[in-house]
Amino acid sequence: MADAKPTPSAPAIVAEQLTRRFGAFVAVRDVSFEVARGEIFGYLGANGAGKSTTIRMLCGLLAPTAGRATVAGADVARDPERVKRAIGYMSQRFSLYLDLRVRENLEFFGGAYGLGGAALARRIDALLERVELTAQADLRTGDLPGGLRQRVALIAAMLHEPAILFLDEPTAGVAPAARRTFWRLIRELAAGGTTVFVTTHYMDEAEYCHRIGMMSAGRLVALDTPATLKRAYLAGSMFLVEGPQVAAALPALRSHPAVLGAQPFGAAAHLRVDPAQLDRDGLQGLLTAGAHGALRARPVEPSLEDVFLALVEER
Amino acid sequence: MPPFFQRLGALAYKELLHMLRDQQVIYLALGMPLVMLLLFGYAVSFDVDELPIAVLDHDGSAAARRLVRGLEASDAFVVRHQVREAAAIEALMRRGTIRAGVVIPAGFARQVARGAEARYQLLLDGADGTTARIALGYAFGATAAAAGDAGRGVLPLLEPRVRALFNPALRSALFIVPGLAAVIIGILAVLMSTITVAREWERGSMEQLFATPVDRLAVVLGKLLPYVAIGLLQLLLVLTAGAWLFAVPLRGSLATLLAAAVLFLAGVLGQGLLISMVTRNQQVATQLGAISGVLPNLLLSGFIFPPDNMPLPLRVLSRAVPARYMVAVMRGVLLQGQRLPQLWPQFLGLALVAAAFLTISTLAFRRSLD
Repeated sequence: MADAKPTPSAPAIVAEQLTRRFGAFVAVRDVSFEVARGEIFGYLGANGAGKSTTIRMLCGLLAPTAGRATVAGADVARDPERVKRAIGYMSQRFSLYLDLRVRENLEFFGGAYGLGGAALARRIDALLERVELTAQADLRTGDLPGGLRQRVALIAAMLHEPAILFLDEPTAGVAPAARRTFWRLIRELAAGGTTVFVTTHYMDEAEYCHRIGMMSAGRLVALDTPATLKRAYLAGSMFLVEGPQVAAALPALRSHPAVLGAQPFGAAAHLRVDPAQLDRDGLQGLLTAGAHGALRARPVEPSLEDVFLALVEER
Repeated sequence: MPPFFQRLGALAYKELLHMLRDQQVIYLALGMPLVMLLLFGYAVSFDVDELPIAVLDHDGSAAARRLVRGLEASDAFVVRHQVREAAAIEALMRRGTIRAGVVIPAGFARQVARGAEARYQLLLDGADGTTARIALGYAFGATAAAAGDAGRGVLPLLEPRVRALFNPALRSALFIVPGLAAVIIGILAVLMSTITVAREWERGSMEQLFATPVDRLAVVLGKLLPYVAIGLLQLLLVLTAGAWLFAVPLRGSLATLLAAAVLFLAGVLGQGLLISMVTRNQQVATQLGAISGVLPNLLLSGFIFPPDNMPLPLRVLSRAVPARYMVAVMRGVLLQGQRLPQLWPQFLGLALVAAAFLTISTLAFRRSLD
């Protein structure tokens, strides 16, 4: 995993008590963070947690109700045009024009950034080659599978060589293999000095990020490296519980005073236990004595999902 | 190239590609004007030809026959039925076999011979007011002529020598086609432009566009230019078809016409874009576009009803309808050979309305997602 964080200089993104209301609804509440240059900053949260609203404010598309943010040194509320020139944005639906060919889409977005002529053509060719889409350049964009379309959308946001990339759920609905290819690309970009701000609700993808912010109901509830999040944000010890009737046993286990949390994890379950009250043997005894057949417990590393669920539940 | 023009070019070219890729747009843009021209050109006619009538002749005299011949001689009427009772006329009219009836009372010839006021009855189908009114006009003319033939003036014989300037045969097509061209192009421009911005909002591409440094003027003009080009193409198509099918002349200059058309298109497209930007929803935009495109263009443009005869509020409203000026320009240039010195009020009207619509739509076009 990418733990080698680049040395922070002037931060690429600064958010200070960023808040956005829609009428009485507070979509983003008092969010503060800094993102360093060349960092991959993951923004994690359920649908409606405020991820897209945050990204839209940072891209100068939506004015903050309160608080402030600077992106590439420009204030997003006062100077959105300078922000727009410095960033690339890939919106949630990778909004390419499906009736245009791949190259036509890229030429259009290049033109929208004020590029043109031979320089743009060279840049398009270079980017197409980099994401292995040279052969698809003259296909109708709508005929491409989701994974390839997403790569086109990514390079459409990179034509003007932005210092910061904002990617809003770039891998939603994309096949796992294509997601891995995409993330390899993201890490290459970051290694080359591009700052990447990416939202996702895939926990496995979050592991690729240098740091992760977790959003719940408009608040930033945790912010750290994946390793620290897993180590420091969860009280208790984590066990993997396996057995034929795990799901049925969960309600009874949750009511036990020593059990801090119990979540289904694939076909098994993750159980978080207060070690002062219950050690491994004690837990195994509890499981064996239960009414739900033979269940086995073994200690495991907590996953980001455990951290996320615990943080969201605590609220 | 300055970035503004680079962006404008990219936007306009992209819009053009959308159009060329969408066959429906091509059919709508080039097929519809021709279909409407044929429909209106042939079907809508203010001429009345060979209106079928029935005659109930209680007199049976030479004078009565002369009157009927006089009516038929105008080509406006053709006698389909000779009937024996008044009820038959109404029955035939109800069935739709005839459009008018002539009842000549007994003693008609005697009255004519005495030089007294000779009366006959003309029964018209009031359900079709337009035709009835035109038929009435023809009947007056024919009656006067017949009375003159009788040698004795039933009506004082003032005989006006009428010559219709610019359209000597008073052909409806000549009057209709130039106005129709403006109306068709106006309606289609509103219809086509209403969905373009709404579509981008719905598909999310507008959000993507706003994350780039394009300014709203470039977006508005980029949307506008390809549709102006299509509109000019439609105009040339309709003019060619009009000249070929209906012998509509071009007595003024084509350049004047095209210059007016550019202003006209800017106005109607501005109207469509405004709807699209405010609604942000294709379905609502289409409905609003259909209503606000068809009704003012058809009713307030002077294509059918002269604006001067409208009640004051509508007359004022018609000043904001670009088609009102364009219909006048089309008739003026095509039929009367008018030039800029006579047409400047229309040009001024077109320019003001276009500037107003474009300014409002550019300002209404919020480049943010709030």
